[in-house]
Amino acid sequence: MRRDPNLRTTAFPLDVVERWMQAVIVHPGAVQEALASEEASRELPAGSLEELVKPSATLTAEARVAIYREMYLLRMVEALATDYPVTQYVLGEEAFTALVKDYVQRYPSRSYTLNRLGDRLPQLYLEEPERAGAAFLHDLTSAELALTQAYEEAESEVLTPDAVLAVPAAAWPQARLVPVASLRLLALGHPVLPHMEACRLELPCPKPRRGATWLAVWRKDYTVHRRGLSRAEHHLLQALAGGLSLGQALAETAASLDASDASKRIHAWFRAFVAEGLFSRVELRDRQP
Amino acid sequence: MSENRWGFPDLGLGVGLRSPHFQHILSERPEMGFFEVLTENYLDTEGLPLYVLDQVAERYPVIMHGVSLSIGSSDPLDFNYLAKVKALAARTKARWISDHLCWTGVLGRNTHDLLPIPYTEETLRHVSERIRVVQDVLERPLVLENASTYLEFVPSQMSEWEFIARMAEEADCGLLLDVNNVYVSAFNHTFDAEEYVDAIPGDRVCHIHVAGHTHKGTHILDTHSDHVVDPVWALYGRALRRIGLRSTLLEWDADIPPFEVVHAEVLKARAWRDREAARAA
Repeated sequence: MRRDPNLRTTAFPLDVVERWMQAVIVHPGAVQEALASEEASRELPAGSLEELVKPSATLTAEARVAIYREMYLLRMVEALATDYPVTQYVLGEEAFTALVKDYVQRYPSRSYTLNRLGDRLPQLYLEEPERAGAAFLHDLTSAELALTQAYEEAESEVLTPDAVLAVPAAAWPQARLVPVASLRLLALGHPVLPHMEACRLELPCPKPRRGATWLAVWRKDYTVHRRGLSRAEHHLLQALAGGLSLGQALAETAASLDASDASKRIHAWFRAFVAEGLFSRVELRDRQP
Repeated sequence: MSENRWGFPDLGLGVGLRSPHFQHILSERPEMGFFEVLTENYLDTEGLPLYVLDQVAERYPVIMHGVSLSIGSSDPLDFNYLAKVKALAARTKARWISDHLCWTGVLGRNTHDLLPIPYTEETLRHVSERIRVVQDVLERPLVLENASTYLEFVPSQMSEWEFIARMAEEADCGLLLDVNNVYVSAFNHTFDAEEYVDAIPGDRVCHIHVAGHTHKGTHILDTHSDHVVDPVWALYGRALRRIGLRSTLLEWDADIPPFEVVHAEVLKARAWRDREAARAA
């Protein structure tokens, strides 16, 4: 990085002071370890603390630096607890704080907003499968991230039953049902809704167990919703979200359903999807020649 | 002295727009001089906060208050961020844009803390130059707040208030005087809070903050989590006496109580403002 020449005229140029202080603040060890760390020593020789930071009437220079270290971690924990309240509830405060400490070492904030800080927490569990409960916690954090993403997404217009009725029957096979922008579809290896509910009601968490789970997360009228799906519902919504026409999506999905009641079930799903606000609009296409 | 040099109006009393109060504000439409919004909470989002902000901006004056400008950082300025700040200001018709005299990170990292700078001639030149660039981009004066600090640098060559006065002059920027921060830093560094307030160029002060804090015995933390203590109100009264009436905001950002409690707290400033108005009349 190019250095501003104005900063080079004192024994403690601003850029050096700032890099040193950041290295000490974000270091995961104890304050003494942070002060003696390689990152801090790259900027200023070990033992420079008293030459740079004044003690106060009540605190040593080290204790004053430690205030910033504590506040940094506290802020990171608060930010991630906002996005991952259920994960914090499941892990408990101590284990969650330890997780945050590790996470911000690997994925420190590089954004002007804290809203993006937690975007890669599910990724951490993929990258470190040896972590306790990693497979379940990957699924849980993925679901919580989807809730956050749905909260942040643009509000979409919602397809109304009247708009559905206005589509000519012959146009449906080629039609494309466009989901609302906030819709997130998840295929997980563990049920997570019971843990979300336990957290909401402040009840003891059930033990994580394996089990294929499909979820939809979306927002309607600025309220985020979530609900479980069957495998076939998930498949159908995934196909529609991927841009397939209704005819193509139904053909793919119907193959996995019992032919005797497939039509009835699919109709019931669509009524529910529309009522719940999962779709934004119907795009009508010309029939293929 | 009664006006700031840009003619920014005295908007009266305001509070921060915080999510626990969204519903109350939209449904009850409380009488309020203005709302201050944390700029970064409304960037890169299309969700409920932005929807509420649009509603609020229709009904109340809005002031934008950022925490990530990092004006004191030795990293390059983030022009992408500045463009978004400018766009949000246009969207909300923000009366002015403020941030803090601090740095928040280097090497591309953001600690999301308001970190202290050494008060040296070099830092003064660096910060002043960056303020001028920011003001050119935003096409309006930048209003900078004195942050609470918990350490002092040995190499500092001047007091914080001297630095701020000179910075404001050299960069031609506005000031947000946070009297709680003055009180907090005065305790932490054993300086005279009144001397600080008296030294701030009043014609550059566009806005005043008051807030609660947490006394830890050996030091005070600027937590915005409690009622304003009497010595901070007294410092507020002194600031009004010196510089005249200014838009006044109560900050309450942690352990946020119901809106009525926050509202009642900021209304305590009214007595100080009435006293100053009577004195000036």
